[in-house]
Amino acid sequence: MNAIKRLRKLQGEGKKIVGCFPLYPPVELFYAMELVPVVLWGLTDAHTQTPKSDRHLQNYTCFVARDLTEFILTQGHALLDGIFMYNACDTLRNLPEIFIKETKASGGSLPLIRMHLPMSPQDQTDSSKYFNDEINAVIRSFTEDLGTSFSSERFEEGIRLYNRMRKLAIFAQHRVARGRMGFLPFADTMRNACFMPVGEQVSALESLLRMYPEDSGDPNDSKTDTGVILSGILPPPPSIIAAIESAGMRVVGNDIASLHRSYADIPAPESDPCEYYRDFYFHHTPCSTLLFSGDRRLQTLMDMVDKTGAMGVIFVGEKFCEYEYFEFPYLEKELRKKGVKTLRIEISMQDDAHAGGISSRIEAFAEMTAS
Amino acid sequence: MAKFKKTESGRNLSRILSKGYLDLHTRASQGAFVVWIAINVPAELFAGFENVVYGVPESHAAMNAGKGVGAIQCEKAERIGYSMDLCSYARIDIGCVSDNGKDSPSFGLPKPDLLVSDNNNCSLLVKWFEVHHREMGVPHFIIDVPFCYEPQQKKDRDYIIAQFHGLIQTIEKMSGQRFDPDRVSEAVASTNQGISHWKRFLSFAGHRPSGITAFDSFVHMAPFLTMRGTSEFVNHYKLLADETEQRVAAGDFPVKNEKYRLFWDNIAPWHQLRNMSDSLAAHGANIVGATYTSCIGSVEGSFDMYPYDGGDPLEYCARTQNCYICPHGLNLRSKAMRQAVKRLNIDGIVFASNRSCKPYSVTQMDQQRTMTEKLGIPSVMIDVDHADVRKYSRQSTFTRLEALIESIAAKRAA
Repeated sequence: MNAIKRLRKLQGEGKKIVGCFPLYPPVELFYAMELVPVVLWGLTDAHTQTPKSDRHLQNYTCFVARDLTEFILTQGHALLDGIFMYNACDTLRNLPEIFIKETKASGGSLPLIRMHLPMSPQDQTDSSKYFNDEINAVIRSFTEDLGTSFSSERFEEGIRLYNRMRKLAIFAQHRVARGRMGFLPFADTMRNACFMPVGEQVSALESLLRMYPEDSGDPNDSKTDTGVILSGILPPPPSIIAAIESAGMRVVGNDIASLHRSYADIPAPESDPCEYYRDFYFHHTPCSTLLFSGDRRLQTLMDMVDKTGAMGVIFVGEKFCEYEYFEFPYLEKELRKKGVKTLRIEISMQDDAHAGGISSRIEAFAEMTAS
Repeated sequence: MAKFKKTESGRNLSRILSKGYLDLHTRASQGAFVVWIAINVPAELFAGFENVVYGVPESHAAMNAGKGVGAIQCEKAERIGYSMDLCSYARIDIGCVSDNGKDSPSFGLPKPDLLVSDNNNCSLLVKWFEVHHREMGVPHFIIDVPFCYEPQQKKDRDYIIAQFHGLIQTIEKMSGQRFDPDRVSEAVASTNQGISHWKRFLSFAGHRPSGITAFDSFVHMAPFLTMRGTSEFVNHYKLLADETEQRVAAGDFPVKNEKYRLFWDNIAPWHQLRNMSDSLAAHGANIVGATYTSCIGSVEGSFDMYPYDGGDPLEYCARTQNCYICPHGLNLRSKAMRQAVKRLNIDGIVFASNRSCKPYSVTQMDQQRTMTEKLGIPSVMIDVDHADVRKYSRQSTFTRLEALIESIAAKRAA
């Protein structure tokens, strides 16, 4: 079932759906207000071309933004009850006014709820009060614009459910690392989960784990694969994942923003949303888009290398995602100093055309890393 | 043809910029505390310290591009792994630092003690400064400025002011110098005075024919980036405005046979200033104004001057943090552009789609449609890169610019 069908299903069930631009929305808060958050990344299977988006965004804009724009302008206003964003990237911050204008022109309306996530490091400026006010403003906006109300009990229930989902995602990641399942079914499940309520996310992951049990006798068990870590904003397309695994490499860890960076943090349960999200954001696994986390980025990646015993790191650059591209050279240099091999490949979400050339580089990298 | 005869203000500009870079290196070598800042960081704060100097990597990168060494510096960054898709200012700066200022007209910038970036123009400035932070081991202070869809809110202003206080404390601690707020008030007052002359200079674009070209304004922006709050800043812009006034009174115009008055949207194409200005002038066209230079000293949604009332200088600095084009949204940008286009009797708009500056460019297609719908004037989208000449095609650009001129002429004839 593709993303659009999943959204239609949710709509048919009477759910109020909020489309989220950034990868780390305050999902428990949505749950507490009886809303279903869907992160609008990875909608590619819903459309192969982006004609509507092309009227608004230049071709040097990343495909995540173009894909998201195409969805909002074609089907978003019919499927979503609102959109949510924070200051995740310079491109995304310029899109809401385009969406509001175009939705209005087509006779619809799409409430925009936004907050500013303080990007100043906490040891430089204490932004706690400002942040608390932003969280409270989001709650007010949901109440006013979407007619929902906040429930403390549901908030705590949401924390339990999302933390369960995160733990299951970590279990599944470990099974990939141990060769019990391929990276592709894991990444696919996680992508599909973006368009499900959290209860279904938990079920989908439980089902995945049952399908690939610890002692599955999977053919990968017998392999002595070379362990690699994937790093980037999004997982690579299936053809590239297949090329990595068929070249004898196993994904023993991932530093993918839409995967590990999204589920790695399991904050302590807390009834006060402000306190919960201060912990969640300010101690979040480092990400190139969370500007305050820069100083922890290298160490986190190094720790992952140590913990997983990875021999190499493959950086998967989404074309035009400058946040990632600014970091690659430094990370590559420091990893190489430590004897860890690195490979950088450039992909675009919608473009599998260069998979052949990339596969050859992956094979060469696998040989080099294994030797 | 546009006249590029060296004016007194042009000579003064060369003099104060050379002296500025020389002084920066000299004072750094004598022990001054050196800060590298993003252009929107309120430089007036540093006047509150006895011995703090600052360099501006973006301005330095623009100078490299203007002097024809932009691509050389970019290639150095690319050789050490920085993608060609990254901002060319960043690549120039990273490339220049990678070999200690070689090829730079100013021998680079002196090594910093502190890096101060902000994310109002773009978050990538923070990523860029982080590269230096990691490679040089120099502390990095980040000023976080909330983006505006509506005029800046007080809660955001208070948050920005709190960060200014944090920056002041950081410098006090690191440099051992004490902060004097009165000196900052004086610096802000000087900036305000200089900007009033800047606005007077820009106002001569309203004359027919225009007393200035946008290219003049691009070149003369530099002191705004590197000398705010100083007497040189005030004196330079007074000289520039006075001289322009005299030239207009004397009937001395940059494009005498001005037939087409154009408006520019985006960062200046630093590697093409002379070439583009001359070629347009040959068609009787003059780019008389630009969003890039008009926004200075304003607040979001207007290009009118936002005056300093003599009150809290930090409040003023915070209030003007969203004035540049990138830190505010499409509606506010449209409002200011419409006002300028009407005021300057613009015939056509040049939207320079800039691969190196996505935050400036991303809304341009909608902005272009808005201008057509609201004002009914022709416009064109051209592809540029503000500092990397390798990504610029003169032929393709002028095909489009000539088409714009033809459409203006056709509209007049109809």
